[in-house]
Amino acid sequence: MIWDKEKIKSILPQREPFLFIDEVIEIESNQKVIARKHIDPDEFFFNGHFPGNPVMPGVLLIEAMAQTSILVYYLCKPEIANAHPTYYLGKVKSEFLTPVLPNDDIIIEARNIKITDTAGVVNTIARVDGKTAAKAEFVFGIKKNE
Amino acid sequence: MPSNYEKEITQLVSEIIEIPEEKIAPDADFFTDLGVDSLKAIEIVAAFEKKYRLIIPEQDIPKIRTVKHILDYTKNIKKETK
Repeated sequence: MIWDKEKIKSILPQREPFLFIDEVIEIESNQKVIARKHIDPDEFFFNGHFPGNPVMPGVLLIEAMAQTSILVYYLCKPEIANAHPTYYLGKVKSEFLTPVLPNDDIIIEARNIKITDTAGVVNTIARVDGKTAAKAEFVFGIKKNE
Repeated sequence: MPSNYEKEITQLVSEIIEIPEEKIAPDADFFTDLGVDSLKAIEIVAAFEKKYRLIIPEQDIPKIRTVKHILDYTKNIKKETK
């Protein structure tokens, strides 16, 4: 483990049950973050999605990938990220390939495509057991809080 | 008559901002004439960097406001690398 949950919470504004990263397991300079999330069978969303057939909602997988993208932004712009700006999602291009199920370990790789003070483009892949579950590219904005 | 390179750039911008190529004049300002916001701007920069294997430094991005600026910027880079 490179970053534990406390470190991740010092960067991300999200909190349980909407924090979808357990740990960061690899960092490559300011270019790449690899994060892990264990999908507990007791996750809140399985009650309704779907009764008797638990599948992680794709929108929440996208959320996990977006949160990993913020960690890439932190690597590039630590001074701005440490001031806890507002991150807002502008655009997502995504593709879902396999479902994520209870007890899966999701490994999310997020790679810097272009990051500036006020915006970012980050490419991500989520894998389970080495198999790609989803791919997504995010365009997001950053607004400093006064 | 626009060059092939100018056409390529215009096509790239057109796909991102979802405005037909014929409505993107070489000197149309992305922000004031074409309604580009900061997120679309970084998409244009990222797409341009990927297609032409260039890196545009962050401080140069605000100077690139038209298709013509992109063409001029690339010419300058080519001159510098000669």
